[in-house]
Amino acid sequence: MPRETEISVNERAFIQQALQENLRLDGRAFDAFRPLELTFGDEYGVADVQLGKTRVIARISVDVAVPPPERKFDGIFQIIAEFSPMASPAFEVGRPSDAEMVLSRILEKAIRRSNALDTESLCIIAGLKCFALRADVHIIDHDGGLVDASCIAVMAALQHFRRPDVVVEGEKATILSVREREPIPLSILHQPLCVSFSYFEDGEIFLIDANLSEEQVRNAEIIVTMNKHGEVCQIAKYGGATVDPLALLNCTNVALQKVKEMSKIIQGKLEADAKKRDAGGLMAELSAENER
Amino acid sequence: MPLDTSTYSLALLRLDGRRWNELRRLHAQISVQAAASGSSYLEMGNTKILCTVSGPSEARRGAGGGGAGSSEGNLEVDVSFAGFSGVERRKRRQDKRTTDLSHTLTSSLTPLLHLHLYPHSTITLTLSILSQDGSLLAACINSATLALIDAGVPMTDYLTAVTCASSPSTSDEEAGDPLLDVNSAEEQELPFLTLGTVGREGRVGVCVMESRVRGEGVEGMVAVGIEGCARVREIVDGVVRGYGKRFA
Repeated sequence: MPRETEISVNERAFIQQALQENLRLDGRAFDAFRPLELTFGDEYGVADVQLGKTRVIARISVDVAVPPPERKFDGIFQIIAEFSPMASPAFEVGRPSDAEMVLSRILEKAIRRSNALDTESLCIIAGLKCFALRADVHIIDHDGGLVDASCIAVMAALQHFRRPDVVVEGEKATILSVREREPIPLSILHQPLCVSFSYFEDGEIFLIDANLSEEQVRNAEIIVTMNKHGEVCQIAKYGGATVDPLALLNCTNVALQKVKEMSKIIQGKLEADAKKRDAGGLMAELSAENER
Repeated sequence: MPLDTSTYSLALLRLDGRRWNELRRLHAQISVQAAASGSSYLEMGNTKILCTVSGPSEARRGAGGGGAGSSEGNLEVDVSFAGFSGVERRKRRQDKRTTDLSHTLTSSLTPLLHLHLYPHSTITLTLSILSQDGSLLAACINSATLALIDAGVPMTDYLTAVTCASSPSTSDEEAGDPLLDVNSAEEQELPFLTLGTVGREGRVGVCVMESRVRGEGVEGMVAVGIEGCARVREIVDGVVRGYGKRFA
């Protein structure tokens, strides 16, 4: 079984000593994210997130399925996150590691269980047909902060995605193609984003958005998911070294501030993308004139 | 099925007649199974868990994480639900919830155990959930702590856990009252978190919240949770000391 290369003793000591001198190896402040790059694909619902060297692509696809009998009025929404050996030699196909399980569980709790997506709007005919939405998360490059990057990618992709319109006549539903009818955006109720805090020196120092080498040195991790309205969607501290309860509460305050900043960036990117796609309304599209 | 918890604000009594900071009856025993290296039986209200520890034994070859050839022992946790434990009888495979539960237990207990004393070996924790009525993770943590102490595995301190919910708020400005130790009816209706603390100073070892709550509510929940953990610690400590007296 391939294993993550362990960080050397020297490097470990170096990172720890630097932290005690209030320095991070990449020169960031303790509470700073790496520069976030967000680009959208040509298709709707593809978001490519780069957080420093970490790179995650999320893709949303839609299908029509029969809703489960116990949830007749809901659509289906799945988040599938798999580590591929492309990101890091330590990842293996078919054997989910602990990190992979944590990632998919946290995305599930942060986005699905907090009802970020209104699944009822995905229902076509109650009990018979519904849209089955699937978010695939691909980890392209791994340099720490996978949870944060994946969450941003999925949320951005969901907001970018447009589903085809549908016409229902009695028991018959017709899905209209993109050419026939303008596709419609999903109804997003709120935008949860994850901020992971890494603890060092028994909870004396905490870092936001640790990179891979910092992740290997840390004592413990706390992942807080919030939305910009100040609601906490999920907290996960699965173990590791203990922390002071006040520091834990402080995390939610810091997370809120970070989430507000991130939401603003994502919103800006979405608007810029929408402007790029907008050809200038119906009149511009119908016009026969073209530039020569 | 929606449940009416709105009556709380009238009488300040919960569905089962408790006040906001009351624990359910916590009953625990250790050394319940003679064959195991250590075992415990714990009831938190109607949540009942039997936990056994086996080992330290020789690590299986090719076991994940530490295992054979590593200088530290490793802890394996195996959680199983009895078919009759819930309201509905359900065939339970290894689903995501079970793996999540065992992952949380492994990662929260590992730093407390002095595993460097057991190189090349594995300690296996087996938890059988006999009856579920909310606070499952908290009950699992408490029973695992007891069983590990019974097995005589050296550890730094007790890890004790409780759940804490936030009652529906009456006004938009304030968050609702925190409620200690939720049962399954409250768990379905209210946002709650599971908090585990280590030692007397109340440092947080585990904190898991899975539901959406107003940011202001978290503070109250953590504060009440820490106090609850201290009370659970006293009870658990009493059980261990009571057992020790039998040999005195």
